[in-house]
Amino acid sequence: MEFGAPLFHEFAEAYSHQSGPRLSLTLSPEIPTEKLRKIWKSQNAHDIKGALKRGLRANAAAFGVSNEEMQGWVEVYTAYWKATGEILAVREARGDNGQSSWTNVYQAWRQLLNDLIRGYQNFGFEAWTIPCLYVVSKHLRLFAIMADEERSSNSGLDDSAAVTLLDDFDPDSHKHQKQEDCAGVLSKVFSICQSDRAPLEESRKWGTYYIINLLLKTYFRLNAVALSKNILRSLIAARKDMPDFSKFPKSHQVTFKYHEGVLDFLEENYAAAEKHLTEAWNLCHKDSVRNKELILTYLVPCHLITTHTLPTEKLLAPFPRLQKLFLPLCRCIKKGDLHAFDLALQEGEDEFVRRRIYLTLERGRDIALRNLLRKVLIARGFEAAKEGEKPVRRSRVPVAEFAAAISLGSQEKIDNDEVECLLANMIYKGLMKGYISRMHGIVVLSKTGAFPGTGV
Amino acid sequence: MNTSSMMPTWPAAPPAPGTQPSNGYTASYPAPTAFTTVQVRQSFGQSYSTPPPSYPVAHPYGPSHFPPPSPANLAPIVNSPPAVVEEQPKKKIDWPESVRRYVQRSFIPANLDASVSREEMEGKLKETITQANENGVMYTLNWDTMPLPQHMIREERARAMLPLASRPRPQVTAAVSNTNPVSKKRKSWDLTDAPSAAPPWRNGPGSLEDRVTFSPDKTHAGDELGKRGTKLNRLEKRQKRFENEYKSMAREDSPPPPDGPVVGTCQALEKPYFRLTAAPKADKVRPPYILRQTLELLKKKWKKDQNYTYICDQFKSARQDLTVQRIRDEFTVEVYEIHARIALEKGDLGEYNQCQTQLKALYKLGLKGKANEFQAYRILYFIHTANRTELNNALADLTAAEKKDTAIKHALDVRSALALGNYHRFFQLYNETPNMGAYLMDMFVGRERLAALCNICRAYKQAVPLRFVTEELYFESDVEAAQFIIDHEGQDLLQDDNGTIMFLTAKAGQRFEGARAAAFSRVDIKGQI
Repeated sequence: MEFGAPLFHEFAEAYSHQSGPRLSLTLSPEIPTEKLRKIWKSQNAHDIKGALKRGLRANAAAFGVSNEEMQGWVEVYTAYWKATGEILAVREARGDNGQSSWTNVYQAWRQLLNDLIRGYQNFGFEAWTIPCLYVVSKHLRLFAIMADEERSSNSGLDDSAAVTLLDDFDPDSHKHQKQEDCAGVLSKVFSICQSDRAPLEESRKWGTYYIINLLLKTYFRLNAVALSKNILRSLIAARKDMPDFSKFPKSHQVTFKYHEGVLDFLEENYAAAEKHLTEAWNLCHKDSVRNKELILTYLVPCHLITTHTLPTEKLLAPFPRLQKLFLPLCRCIKKGDLHAFDLALQEGEDEFVRRRIYLTLERGRDIALRNLLRKVLIARGFEAAKEGEKPVRRSRVPVAEFAAAISLGSQEKIDNDEVECLLANMIYKGLMKGYISRMHGIVVLSKTGAFPGTGV
Repeated sequence: MNTSSMMPTWPAAPPAPGTQPSNGYTASYPAPTAFTTVQVRQSFGQSYSTPPPSYPVAHPYGPSHFPPPSPANLAPIVNSPPAVVEEQPKKKIDWPESVRRYVQRSFIPANLDASVSREEMEGKLKETITQANENGVMYTLNWDTMPLPQHMIREERARAMLPLASRPRPQVTAAVSNTNPVSKKRKSWDLTDAPSAAPPWRNGPGSLEDRVTFSPDKTHAGDELGKRGTKLNRLEKRQKRFENEYKSMAREDSPPPPDGPVVGTCQALEKPYFRLTAAPKADKVRPPYILRQTLELLKKKWKKDQNYTYICDQFKSARQDLTVQRIRDEFTVEVYEIHARIALEKGDLGEYNQCQTQLKALYKLGLKGKANEFQAYRILYFIHTANRTELNNALADLTAAEKKDTAIKHALDVRSALALGNYHRFFQLYNETPNMGAYLMDMFVGRERLAALCNICRAYKQAVPLRFVTEELYFESDVEAAQFIIDHEGQDLLQDDNGTIMFLTAKAGQRFEGARAAAFSRVDIKGQI
């Protein structure tokens, strides 16, 4: 859309319908290069403010846009126009030598977002326009990522030089420079949404979760989990003034629940994690495969801990990546093959650690061990059955038999004290019922349900 | 919403530069360190309560030179330059062999520098050696790693090129109006061309700059204010209009903070720690060559007096001097490493954690040190503080080579044993802890014993011999095990059964659960972020 009559028309239309989404389209950077060029060429730095002022006023004054508000939009569109120039420069790959061009885009876009924020703070922008905030905030984060990636791929030399200049020498922080900056701007957006005191129906509070989700995404990427916690805390503090969570758009809800669940997961609050992730799972659109995959990445390990259950093949069928991730481990757990489990865990270690599920999956070893011990009991068969009574399993198991089973896979000798330690753990965790008699070197298992929940 | 952008990603951090190749030198300890690796009790027979003395005379760089040299060293120096030799008779000093080697090394043709004259070198040598002698560290200083005089001179010249304000002079902070735009460039030349204003997130609570209240960011904020308040002359206005990057330095009201790092001139070896509230003064800051002597002195004192309050204070001031001068080299690493070890030994986890955090950053810069040793401590530390997020991050940071390192592997095994509740294995590992990790493990071994005791009480019917508890939980003796049980209100659980003391597990019930829960919930560390 040219920065002339078409823009003014679109602006006036959006205003007349009070359509935020429509207005937000005029601030989107996701447009064909040809159009972008048209916008860029249609104005020059000298005239743009005047042209915008005249054009917007002529078209939109009828809809009760105050002069003040108009002034705000003039600033916003001027900033947008400048940003298009930078985006164009990147797309046409003629960035200045040395100065990385995504960085320029980021800076220009940051200015746009700041002008927009000012619009809400000083120029009385109305709440229905918040989709503009969504679009601009969303792309700020994306541009920040581009700028950081571009810089780190450009030259490592440059990087280390800059690092030594500064006293706070965390070499990592430089790597995410723009994203950290972006997090700062986004938290400003968050606070203008959350602190709006207008009545709910015309409040920017409705934008809270969208912005939080963007912030959390940024923090996750920066590996700053502690900061995420702060956001959630401030949210809880403000909850009583917020609209009911279920009233927010579903897409906002799903993303938020997912993040909330993952945060709990990382702190090993598996019950809470399971709750949030299940909610996210239930709310998730059936066709967003990628999102469902992400939810399951954490929900599956969660279930392993909370309910000792493994995913069915049917559940994982639409997700080849998850099959690759989980199925080898699941098979070992099911078979009670400890050694293979260790190997599979080692095999997938890098990926598990990267997704932060290693520590959780590792605990699946308990279930594998439980299944192995269960097999030992089954293999021992039954006591000589008395007339007319149900057969009873031979439940007084020598520790040595369990020891033999445990070292079966690895062929490594394991001493009986360690076996007893593992058995004690099983008993303590409630995975096995019975007791150890150290004096006799046997384990006396419960005659009814030695392994709760497994039918044995 | 663009769903593809919705997921958080966990970018796998690339291995830190310089950490991987370090594997070789931390796996074994060929060079004597300032610290003997502290062996955990190897057998039950050893006394539990007396920690082994951990600071023998060893030297971090190489062979040390205590005790004083033999009379053979009194022989006249043949190869030394005349100027230095002349000094000797006057002062009647016995030059140790190491000093002579140092002087010789300085004049090896390969080491000579055309830009440094012989006179300059001799002067510098004289100064350095006299200094060492006066400070009483001539015999303890490691002359083999001492920078050569020509290097010192070059360094000084480089520093002299810095803006006036930061030159090592008394009264540096006197109002030196730095209107010369070149000064800005000079600074860049010394360091980089990067814009000097620090981005906002660098002023987070953990930033070192904040700790010394010497933040370039604040400086510039001040400048902006100053600019508005003061009348600018025409020239400056012009400058400002055309050269955005030249921030005018003119300020009449207050002395400008030094532009760039301070270069210390303080000659005292000891200095109490004082939290800076203003830009540091050069005459209160010790330059690196003095700090090297300081370190030697502190090591000696620590070995002799074991006065932690004093040592900690001194190390903090040394670290501060390094920080304000922005010295980040292998010597910095050494200072932090030694302080970390001492703090560890004394159980000062707050101080230890500060050192550890800096060390991580220093290693990441590619500086050599005992990276693996400290990476292992780091893992143990996160186990102690039950910091799952950081533990996760630490795991993600490890390279394949690091995972094979003895100390790191040990720490990982400890983690895994605990995760799986395998106390048997855990206590075995406790006994095999490399380096000084046992000091860290001591911090959480108590709670793990309680956890194991809970397990045992639940799983074993009737009773087990006390000896079993002693062995499984790695107590020094039955007495110690009994004491532990009694300390946790289990006096009635011990019974003499025909000369064997039995631990009545069946009777214990939930006895230790409360203590266990309390022990796991309380990990509060001073200075923990």
